Amino acid sequence: MPNIVACFKWVIDEAYIRKGPSGTLDFSAVDYKISDYDRNAIEEAARLKGFHGGSVTVLTAGAPAASKGVKDALSRGADQAFFAGDPTFNQLESSQTAAILGEIIRSRIPYDLIICGEGSSDQYAQQVGPRLAENLGIPCISYVQKLTIGADGRIIAERRVEDGVEVVEAPLPVVVTVLPEINTPRIPGVKDTLMASKKPVVTIKKEELPPVGAARLQTLGMTATRMERNCEKFAAMPEGIARFVEALQKRGVIN
Amino acid sequence: MDFKLTEEQELIRKNMREFADKYVEPIAVEIDENSRHPAEVFKKLAEGDWMGIPIPTEYGGAGSDYLTHILAIEELSRSCASTGFTVSIHVGIACMLVLLNGTEEQKQQYLLPMAKGEKLGAFVLTEPGAGTDVMAATTTAVLDGDAYILNGTKTFTSNGPTGDVYMVFAWTDKAAGRKGLSCFIIPRGTAGMSAGTHFKKMGLRSSQTSEMVFKDCRVPKANLLGKEGAGLVMAMAGFDHGRVGIAAQSIGIVQAALDESIRYSKERIQFGSPISKNQAISWMIADMATELSAARFLTYHAAWLKDQKQNFSKEAAMAKLYASEAAMRHTIKAVQIHGGYGYCKGAKVERLFRDAKITEIYEGTSEAQRMVISGNVLR
Repeated sequence: MPNIVACFKWVIDEAYIRKGPSGTLDFSAVDYKISDYDRNAIEEAARLKGFHGGSVTVLTAGAPAASKGVKDALSRGADQAFFAGDPTFNQLESSQTAAILGEIIRSRIPYDLIICGEGSSDQYAQQVGPRLAENLGIPCISYVQKLTIGADGRIIAERRVEDGVEVVEAPLPVVVTVLPEINTPRIPGVKDTLMASKKPVVTIKKEELPPVGAARLQTLGMTATRMERNCEKFAAMPEGIARFVEALQKRGVIN
Repeated sequence: MDFKLTEEQELIRKNMREFADKYVEPIAVEIDENSRHPAEVFKKLAEGDWMGIPIPTEYGGAGSDYLTHILAIEELSRSCASTGFTVSIHVGIACMLVLLNGTEEQKQQYLLPMAKGEKLGAFVLTEPGAGTDVMAATTTAVLDGDAYILNGTKTFTSNGPTGDVYMVFAWTDKAAGRKGLSCFIIPRGTAGMSAGTHFKKMGLRSSQTSEMVFKDCRVPKANLLGKEGAGLVMAMAGFDHGRVGIAAQSIGIVQAALDESIRYSKERIQFGSPISKNQAISWMIADMATELSAARFLTYHAAWLKDQKQNFSKEAAMAKLYASEAAMRHTIKAVQIHGGYGYCKGAKVERLFRDAKITEIYEGTSEAQRMVISGNVLR
């Protein structure tokens, strides 16, 4: 029965980011959520537990306010949570996150399978999964859209790669990063949320972890993308259609 | 003073928003158009424990509080006021009546399946000649051995055609006046009780409403809820709970009207710029947002008082009165902002406008709320 660890990031819900008049981004009224693909990671862990038994542990490193995210994750079928919370963990870069998660998993959580989202909703750097595998010295399977554990305890994963689907298998333990196609995350029921508060959470302080080193990545600025919208109307008459074709040619849409 | 919801309440609210966006919003137009009870949605609501949030777990509920139930009604009503209302009357009145007044046997037999969402509750009080004037009711319950025989006709029964468990009010002693009305729990299929056809309504169309006819309907003594003659007191307490739900439904309607108005006014170009730049429009939106906040605080406060086990009768009436009238005022404005498009089928504000009106009428008209409030403050 596998011990499954699902890692997640508590991110700004982009639906709440507002665009200021000069393209500035307004974060004053944002809410947070579990990063989209990480919800798939947690769901897949819970789904596999449903088939094979075992345990599901959710793990995150983030600001203390991510405690709400820990409850959210626990309401999605996990048994317990590990939470490294510190105000300075708000802006971790991938290498730091992977180092923290790796240290916690190695020292505190028995593991056979570690599932991460392919990338986070905010940065989508796709770094944490592979770096975590490297940190733990185990294989990493990325771009996974289907996951099964065979009778021999080996994992079989369908990877969606550029030109098709690649099926790979590996012995456990392994890190898997998943795509949203792998499953449909549940909407937790009321009892799931209430029960989540009663599940064990191991909180780890920054001081209990080896120093992660300074961030090498610095965010210098953020602005909204501009989308030019033009609307021209043409009559559905021969002369209108001729003008329509002309307009498309002028803009280089057609030759 | 603490205006913060708990993390659990915030998560539950968010989960209901996702539920409503995924399962309710896409069918809201169709169930309104066809006046259809979306049984498939209620099955999913039951699976997620949404049909008995404030009911203790030993009676099939989620074991949470009333405020959390109110948050769920608000979010659900934002997508579909009919669906929100059906849950509200089921939990707020039918389930609460049995929870507060039922015997252990009655709770196990009727509350448990209702709170699990396996059975739908209905509240059967109003009669053709007895609306706000409850005392004018004529339905009687006469004791005959080990059973009561009910005769009479009720009307405007929400969940009438679709209900499974009915809370029916009838006179056991008309001469005793306010102490002569009793309440009976009657399961669907009881001989002598039948639901009439579903009324065609202006709004709230997917909520099923009908007459209920009682003709020599024999109800075992064991189905008397509370004491004989305690019906009026129980009904009023039921209304207190239900009214907070209607207030929440109204807030959901105003929130949806506001969301639609903001979106549309930013997109709609007239005289070369979005109409949101016009003061006439932006002030309508400002008023909408302000009264929405006021209604929300009144409603959450009433629910909070209930959870603190304090008297919340006056606050429930205030919340219901203010929120429902705000819903009517601002859905009118929302249609105005949308102009001709808002007057056409397919515009969400058109449905919100029709759905809003009933909130000023049922579970006590605005006038009845003012009677409750003035009765409290002029004491």
